[in-house]
Amino acid sequence: MLREVCFLIGVHDTVLWSDASQSPTALPDSRARWQAIWSRRKHIIEVAHTHPLGGAEFSLEDETTMAALDAALGRRLRYAVITPTQLLRRLPGERTETCEQPDDRIVEAEPWWTTLIRSASGLNLSEKGD
Amino acid sequence: MAILNITYNGLSVDYKANVADNMRDGDIRRTAIELIRSGQLRGLHIAHLPEDAFRDYVVDRLPTAGGARIYLRPKVPFG
Repeated sequence: MLREVCFLIGVHDTVLWSDASQSPTALPDSRARWQAIWSRRKHIIEVAHTHPLGGAEFSLEDETTMAALDAALGRRLRYAVITPTQLLRRLPGERTETCEQPDDRIVEAEPWWTTLIRSASGLNLSEKGD
Repeated sequence: MAILNITYNGLSVDYKANVADNMRDGDIRRTAIELIRSGQLRGLHIAHLPEDAFRDYVVDRLPTAGGARIYLRPKVPFG
């Protein structure tokens, strides 16, 4: 079954926590996810989630969630979307008083946990790079 | 009555006075704005906090042994 999965990533690409939905297109809001983020806030480097059906871009839902999380934590995290074949990563960009330019890039050298998160999302490992 | 907890800018703060436990979500967001602007939350005083600072926040209402608690926290769904 395809489903969206969320990983909280710490230093040295450690997977700190994870959860999953029952849907390939959404990870519903979850107080447990927020509590996991807040309790690990000093150690989180990146919040990653999958788009099992593809689409290497951040959705509007993603954008507003990322903004709310950064505001709550008081610092900007790194975020990632993992599709069957790509990893899109957002690095905190330059912020001015009037605008912010996010730094989104496709990552060629993927970290080890992308194999795990794709597997947890129900993606056939052979799909990657085929 | 309930205890209101607000998480913002790296801090999670309880408002020292109780609030009505039947406050609507929009009223909780507006109350939070005013509390932070006026410096009534310990360590969380931002005079020019934007009006929409809590637009993408949600309200959790939890009964606890010590009484009702209302948490204003960021939403965390992904699409």
